[in-house]
Amino acid sequence: MSADLLPLLWMAPALLLLGLVFLWPWVHYCWLSFHASSLLTGLATLPNGGANWQRLLQDGRFWQDALQTVRFAGVSVGLELGLGLLIALLLHRPSRGRGLLRALVLIPWALPGTVMALGWRWILNDPHGPLNALIQSLGRSPFPFLTSPSTTWAFTVLADVWKTTPFVAIILLAGLQSIPRDLEEALRLEGAGHWTVLRRLQWPLLTPYVSLALLFRLAQAFGVFDLIQLLTGGGPAGSTESLASYAYLQAMRFLDFGYSATLMLATFLMVLVLSLLWLGGMRLVGARR
Amino acid sequence: MPSLISRRRVLQGVLASVPSSGILANQFLGASLSESAEASPAETVRILMPAPLADATAPAVRKFNLRHRDVQIAVTRGPLDTETLSDLATSSLLLGDSPFDLLLMDVSWTARYVAAGWLQPLETLLGDDALAGMVPSARLGNAFGGHLWRMPLSGDTALLYWRTDLMPRPPRDTQELAAMARALQDQGKVRWGYVWQGRQYEGLSCVLLEVLHGFGGRWWDSQTGRTDLMSAEAHEAFHWLTNLVRQGISPPGVANFAENDALQLFLTGEVAFMRNWPYAWQLIAQENGPVTGKVGVTPLVGAPGHQGGGTLGTWGLSLLAGSPRPMGAARVIRWLTGTDVQRDLVRSQGYAPTWRSLYEDGSLQESHPLMEVQSQALLHPLVRPLTPLYAQISDVLQRQGNALLTSTLSPEVALARAQRQSELILRAAGASTDP
Repeated sequence: MSADLLPLLWMAPALLLLGLVFLWPWVHYCWLSFHASSLLTGLATLPNGGANWQRLLQDGRFWQDALQTVRFAGVSVGLELGLGLLIALLLHRPSRGRGLLRALVLIPWALPGTVMALGWRWILNDPHGPLNALIQSLGRSPFPFLTSPSTTWAFTVLADVWKTTPFVAIILLAGLQSIPRDLEEALRLEGAGHWTVLRRLQWPLLTPYVSLALLFRLAQAFGVFDLIQLLTGGGPAGSTESLASYAYLQAMRFLDFGYSATLMLATFLMVLVLSLLWLGGMRLVGARR
Repeated sequence: MPSLISRRRVLQGVLASVPSSGILANQFLGASLSESAEASPAETVRILMPAPLADATAPAVRKFNLRHRDVQIAVTRGPLDTETLSDLATSSLLLGDSPFDLLLMDVSWTARYVAAGWLQPLETLLGDDALAGMVPSARLGNAFGGHLWRMPLSGDTALLYWRTDLMPRPPRDTQELAAMARALQDQGKVRWGYVWQGRQYEGLSCVLLEVLHGFGGRWWDSQTGRTDLMSAEAHEAFHWLTNLVRQGISPPGVANFAENDALQLFLTGEVAFMRNWPYAWQLIAQENGPVTGKVGVTPLVGAPGHQGGGTLGTWGLSLLAGSPRPMGAARVIRWLTGTDVQRDLVRSQGYAPTWRSLYEDGSLQESHPLMEVQSQALLHPLVRPLTPLYAQISDVLQRQGNALLTSTLSPEVALARAQRQSELILRAAGASTDP
């Protein structure tokens, strides 16, 4: 066997698995998005040209949900990167009990999404939740946190940031720890402070880790489902509905599988384009350096 | 201030309402849930039920299993939430070979499941006159297109709960309801006047259906098979509902309330009126809290000069297509929907029966006064649109209704949008008539 084929052979099990769990569903979704498969066809799958894609372009709810999903992903991932970096820097510093702190920080990430969402729903319950109990103990009226689009959105972002910042922090901490200590010491010997060390040494070397965390989180945030479904149900008035929630509704409640596949593919394409733009941007920045 | 106990109860309620992510995952993996029959007799009829009904019918299932050797019943406890139960059933049906023979279905699912080809007609197994002994309203939504698709097990309709310690009689119309609630609030006897379900979910569609009809309007025109939301009556109905929140009769949080949220607030004694299903009656009686023994129930009221009514929320058994045990399943349906089991359900749970003979049973009426109210409520049942596209148009109404309550839309705009979007769905589907 030639040397070129041998690596492929070793990779074959992994490639087969990837093909089964990623490529096949993707190809099937592509195929389904050009077919009608709903109650109106008796759930039979019939070719319909590009009707699903035409419908998508004219579907105001898709565009509203796309905007809401982009906004949710942008704000939550941005906050998670900022806070994650801060936590990573704190955990990177030598201190007593650092091991315990690192383990504690991971607790929100380790919680199942459904448990976390229900926890937040309870915290924000009007009027019996702990947050409203606190407000009432101060002599104020309970606040309906989940009935206004703006507060509901803010708490949805907060819940997501609370849960997933540790994930970003741990990735960035791994990055920080991979930087040779003598580089930092050399810089400090030349009189550099914390800010200069971060800007000139740590940040440039952390870039691949930031990219990794961002791409992972971007894909997850675009597919946000359990948090929305349990905390807000997409409300109030559809203001927190995500593209994944909409696709779920189309498939499971409306039994329109062709359009649901189209929605999921559109979401996938959006994540793909954003990821490519980020990677392209990173490459440009790297080339300039 | 609400007590710690009531907070605990709300938390229990929140946890109890866990939609079935985990259960769905188990289902996909083919794992079986708790089942009441482990043995493998000659024939095991498997049923998927919402958890509360699975618990309520557990004694009847045990009794059947003890009496029969050739057919046994195995019940899977599904999620509490109605729509999540449908999602679970849908997942299993989409996989092709459903592990269930029977499904306990909400009345609003029937047309969709029939259109999907997931149900088997029952008339050949149970006879053409299977529904004949039932009260007229309980028969609604079970048979269409010349077939019987579902045998109802309960005849529930939404009811109005009122505080007997705060008023001599219940309100006769919506005007009185708002006025009495406001007066009690002004006197400092209650913090809130009226609680109901305003969250963006199926419960809100039921509330909106009741309010629309209560003001002489309608959601659905069964003659044309189209929505009919642009009437003056519909505007008036939506204005009344919005004003409940704007005038502080209903708490702002009602826009995020489901049944359990409304019940928990009512149980604290801080509310004069509540719209809920009959299940709440038993829970209020068991609570031994501030309102126990101080609650009355009456059919939902309409605007002055109009007949009020509660949404029909019956549960019924349907036979899934592809079940290899139709004969055994038919025996199980006969037993679980029969008069003996329904009598036990009245006694143990307060569920409204569907058989006329039970409403005529004097001893049952005497021991369960709620039956009298349920029987009155069943005279004016409100049936949700009987169309395979119900889920879509209900979703539209929920979104616009919730936007109305959260003050992002005016009643006129909310109704116009709901009408336009429903029209688009119906037109795109080419559907204009009932199934």
